[in-house]
Amino acid sequence: MVQYLLEDSRVVDFVSHLQACKTVYAPHRKGTSSFAFAPVDDPTAVVLDYNRTLHSVKKYFLPPTETLLSFDLRTNEFTESEIVPCDAVFLGVHSYDLRAVHKLDHNFRQENPEKNYLRRREEAAFVGVSFEPDAFHFSGSVGIGSRDSSGFDVFLTRIAAGYILTAHTPVGQELVDGFVMPEYTGDLPVPPGFKQHIYVPQDKLSEVFEHSYRNDVWLETAEKCVGCGTCNLVCPTCYCFNVEDTVEITIDGGSRARTWDGCMLRSFTEVAGGEVFREESAARQRHRVYRKFKYISDRTGEPWCVGCGRCNQACTAGISIVSIVNRLVNDYDREVVETA
Amino acid sequence: MAKPRVGIFDFTGCEGCELNQLNFEDQLLDILGHVDIVEWREAMDGQVDELDIAFVEGSLSTPECITRIHEIRRKSKVLVALGACAVQGGVNAMKNTRPIEEVREEVYGDQKYLFPTLPALPLSAVVKVDFAVRGCPMTQIEFLKVFTSLVMGKAPIEPDSAVCVECKLKENECVVDKGMICLGPITRMGCGARCPTFGQYCNGCRGLVSAPNIEGMQEILVEKGLAMDEAWKRLQLYNANQLEGVQR
Amino acid sequence: MTNASRTPSAESRDLYLPVMAAITDIRKMTEFETLYEITLPGGAELGHQPGQFVEVSLFGMGEAPFSVSSSPTRKGSFEMGVRRVGMLTDVMDRMQLGEKIGVRGPFGNGVPVEKFKGKDVLIVAGGIGLVPMRSMINYVLDNRGDFDRLIICYGARSDGELLFTDELKMWADDPRVEFHVTVDHGSTAWTGHTGVITTLIPGLDLDMPQTRVLVCGPPVMYRFVLLALRSKGVAEENIYMSLERRMKCGVGKCGHCQINSSYVCQDGPVYHYPDLKGLQEAL
Repeated sequence: MVQYLLEDSRVVDFVSHLQACKTVYAPHRKGTSSFAFAPVDDPTAVVLDYNRTLHSVKKYFLPPTETLLSFDLRTNEFTESEIVPCDAVFLGVHSYDLRAVHKLDHNFRQENPEKNYLRRREEAAFVGVSFEPDAFHFSGSVGIGSRDSSGFDVFLTRIAAGYILTAHTPVGQELVDGFVMPEYTGDLPVPPGFKQHIYVPQDKLSEVFEHSYRNDVWLETAEKCVGCGTCNLVCPTCYCFNVEDTVEITIDGGSRARTWDGCMLRSFTEVAGGEVFREESAARQRHRVYRKFKYISDRTGEPWCVGCGRCNQACTAGISIVSIVNRLVNDYDREVVETA
Repeated sequence: MAKPRVGIFDFTGCEGCELNQLNFEDQLLDILGHVDIVEWREAMDGQVDELDIAFVEGSLSTPECITRIHEIRRKSKVLVALGACAVQGGVNAMKNTRPIEEVREEVYGDQKYLFPTLPALPLSAVVKVDFAVRGCPMTQIEFLKVFTSLVMGKAPIEPDSAVCVECKLKENECVVDKGMICLGPITRMGCGARCPTFGQYCNGCRGLVSAPNIEGMQEILVEKGLAMDEAWKRLQLYNANQLEGVQR
Repeated sequence: MTNASRTPSAESRDLYLPVMAAITDIRKMTEFETLYEITLPGGAELGHQPGQFVEVSLFGMGEAPFSVSSSPTRKGSFEMGVRRVGMLTDVMDRMQLGEKIGVRGPFGNGVPVEKFKGKDVLIVAGGIGLVPMRSMINYVLDNRGDFDRLIICYGARSDGELLFTDELKMWADDPRVEFHVTVDHGSTAWTGHTGVITTLIPGLDLDMPQTRVLVCGPPVMYRFVLLALRSKGVAEENIYMSLERRMKCGVGKCGHCQINSSYVCQDGPVYHYPDLKGLQEAL
């Protein structure tokens, strides 16, 4: 595969080149110290050196709120909402976020393939960029390196002079065609290391989680957790939702919409009649972590966490999924030694 | 079908919630198309004997309030509390943290015997409240939701998750990351995370979620640099009545 | 995990759009429970199995899951027994013949009827648990030759809360059915058995290896019925339980019904008891 050099001074030109082909979504600054994906208007506003965006690109395929249908209360009839595919380039996506999209693909395709997600998602092209792990990233521990280009159409690897650009698919080649760059023949510097780690692979984690259902860490974490649901809502592999009808003030019509929901929210498991079947905060905490490392993983063989670090960074109580998992591993290992 | 007969009432509060109802410029005609407002001190004269829906603003803070809320309850099929004072006592309830005699003296001096006063109570402490429109002042969007539900004959859905949820749905930058102390993590959503969306912290005006982890919230506030009594005051601003019995 | 960034959606479906179906009969069963007959457009078959459920929606009110109560052998329409417990069911209570509701489904796995064929079928239903079980009971009656004995244990809180009273009488009189009924608290007019449903089990005459059990009822009931069945000597692998709750989207996406690793709307609501034992949150 040919490696090109995309110099820093030409990044804006490259963004403009992509814009000439398709709509481009890329990270922008948001607020004082955050980043968010947004449609590119001004190519100079695109930020490729960023730690992580508030939400992953999931928000384009599974929008925070999505109208499923509109209804007319006078005729009792409904109109389905149009699903518009994201025929666009997603520029500056980190490896863990694309991996998260692949996991969502699995969730929305299995058993009952869901048109809403899959239609939106199918035309999307991805231009990835490497990242420098900060204090919260741990994707290396779940098999996703900071320069992992798998699944991308085009990938940009950060070096001192700019980016090494590689096209990985015919679609990627098409995106790059016509944009002239010198070939890059230099070496690839050693990637920067991760600052935190889960120290064991998924098959060991499956075993650890088999024995961690009653670990004290769930109760201890529940003391700190205020149940705000932020960890679910920022997670790129969470996809649970709630459906609600809204009626217009004229009371002649309204709409049915689905909205992101989260298993950490107490009302998530409330059923008709008022029973909340996962009432304890500790049980909800456990459910969240088991969903990332056990329940789906046992069926797919992969962790369902991509190590982006969003849940930890966004938690006002400072709860870290890495600490929880490492604690379970340590407790399990100690128990095994003690009983041996 | 006859239109529901509606009354609007006020107790101790700033009447901002009621004023907010008059501010429905775009929807007021629709609202009036669905109901007959038959009693409303702020906009009309007179009293009626029977109501389908009573919207009640303000907290209860005098013996006279108690008598009157019982009367309203008796004549109303559905009672809806409007705004922080009516729903959870609101800022008025801050006085409940001090001995009532001390409060009376501070406000009325030696005339205090002319003004019988009680701790500021939410309506639900005295009568059955069917539904609530929260906030200080109550949010219009939520009022319209509750209103349309009642007119359709269904129970309004009361959100019971944290303001954080709405902030995340809007992809707001967390104001805590900007160095602010925010009560969003344990405050009930439904306002669309209005304050944080405009760069302000949440002061908890909508009351707390059910089963709130107040101790956990205190720890967060202290961790973020507030002294314990400052943290406690922040929590007391709108939620003094919910803090009773919580370990400080 | 696939590496391709494009994912063809050709095989994908509209999972959330309802079919508008008419209410063609309404039978009030008790103060709180009503039986609705629903007819799909053109009299189309729902195509369900006993034990499956549908998602019912009323525009503006929302959507909720209901068990199908009729047997697939009864053609042309289907029935749902609805208990008034929430907003949607309150509004349904006010609905009239001919009005239309939204229907999605059928969903869930349903009863694995093949496992019951040629066997003695014991159905243990508590309270509203009879609603889905009635589908299986009538399925067995309509295919009577495929099954051996049919034993029904049904319990309700009081005689006033007994459901399908006409049919209960038919089952009691039917020589092909061994029917046992009990109420927790009988009125003065009640002459039958009194006591919780577990009190019916010790007296049953069961041919143990031949018996397959299907249990459905309120959450609190399962543990005690299990104990009674186990002490009677019923093997765990011969027990199936229907968990009638928690479902929301019906298609394994929204996450609400998940108990441990299992989606009730996909892997359930009918579970083989040995599988359920591993799910710590299930019972």
